[in-house]
Amino acid sequence: MNGERRGPWYLLTGLIIGAFLGLGFAWLVQPVRYTNTFPASLRADHKDRYRAMIAAAYMANPDLVRAKARLALLEDEDPYRMLAEQAQRSLAQGNTMEEARALGALAAALAQGSAPVQPTAASQSQATIQETPLASTSEITSTMAVTVTLNGVTLTIGSPVEFTPVPTRMATATPGGPFVLTNQQLVCDQDYGAPIIQIFTFNSAGQQVPAVEIVVTWEGGENHFYTGLKPEVGPGYADFTMTPGVTYSLRLAIGGQPINDLKTPECENESGKFNGAWRLEFIQP
Amino acid sequence: MECLPNYPSKFRRDSCFATVPMAQYERMARWIAFFIAIAVGTAGGLLYGWLVNPVKYVDTSPSSLRIDFKSDYVLMVAESYRADGNLALAVQRLSGLEEQPVESVSQAVAFAEEHGYGETDLTAMKSLLEALQNWNPSGGETPSP
Repeated sequence: MNGERRGPWYLLTGLIIGAFLGLGFAWLVQPVRYTNTFPASLRADHKDRYRAMIAAAYMANPDLVRAKARLALLEDEDPYRMLAEQAQRSLAQGNTMEEARALGALAAALAQGSAPVQPTAASQSQATIQETPLASTSEITSTMAVTVTLNGVTLTIGSPVEFTPVPTRMATATPGGPFVLTNQQLVCDQDYGAPIIQIFTFNSAGQQVPAVEIVVTWEGGENHFYTGLKPEVGPGYADFTMTPGVTYSLRLAIGGQPINDLKTPECENESGKFNGAWRLEFIQP
Repeated sequence: MECLPNYPSKFRRDSCFATVPMAQYERMARWIAFFIAIAVGTAGGLLYGWLVNPVKYVDTSPSSLRIDFKSDYVLMVAESYRADGNLALAVQRLSGLEEQPVESVSQAVAFAEEHGYGETDLTAMKSLLEALQNWNPSGGETPSP
């Protein structure tokens, strides 16, 4: 009988055989199938689609609380930045303009930090909802507001929350009206670094208007972007970096006169010459 | 029992009869050690897998989403559909769930009814379901992802 001389190798042999059996079962017989997963675990492109859907639903039903709750499921570190980046990416990839607009509008709403009432509750109670013009998505840039009447109290979502017994005035631009350039100013500030065009959009009440689509064209190129994607500057602010030597034309997608012949301005101070910026202010009368 | 002349010296005892129970004991001890090793290894694996470094699912597909998340996705599509009335776009959006649109919406409506979704939401989902069931984009084809 030689069994006593075998040493511990039988243990290793057993482990290897067992491991192969386990792998064979796990990979071939019964491969893993994920179920009951969370949106946060979705692949990046699926997350983008989910995020775009949240934005589309927000455009249809401007319920920021609900949109925020849905965005939280994706566990993005900075939902605002993700939305803004996806909006730009969506435009660059040639997706529908509505998708980019929806993403931009939701980003702007998040940036504004408006705290609307609980439309979720409204949908579950007997509240009535009157949506201000949402018939066409092109008008949404300037009318991100909804009036909710709940138990006789009327309040507006999309602008600072007010509880008043009378219809509230919305801090938004006039739907569909063209913006007018009221100020074009050369700004010489070395801190900007690159030559930029700064755009500010205001409504007739002098409040900045987010999610206004801006179109910049130049020879052989075009770019679309939105106000409100840099909330640290202002909800109605956007900027565009120019390339020296290129002439640009800028207009607002909602309409209005184009601003032509925008070139990199040159500034000078005691330390020498540097690139300046154009500041353009639009008002929707 | 016969006493083997070449038996290893470490198992020799005063009596040859003592060697057989000793070998059996050794064999049994090895089996016990074998199973204890497996048990310890399994416990260690579970401890590591559940507590130290639990599994994190990444890069999953929408079809694996839990039913409540799927239902909410369907609700989002229904909300958009209610606003724009574009059924083809709704189908395209539903295809993100990688399932048959009608099936997705049916399951979502059932879930919504079971879990007391708001009337507005439920109505929107039912409208979408009804539209999908009556949809006939090209000669009776069922909308597919």
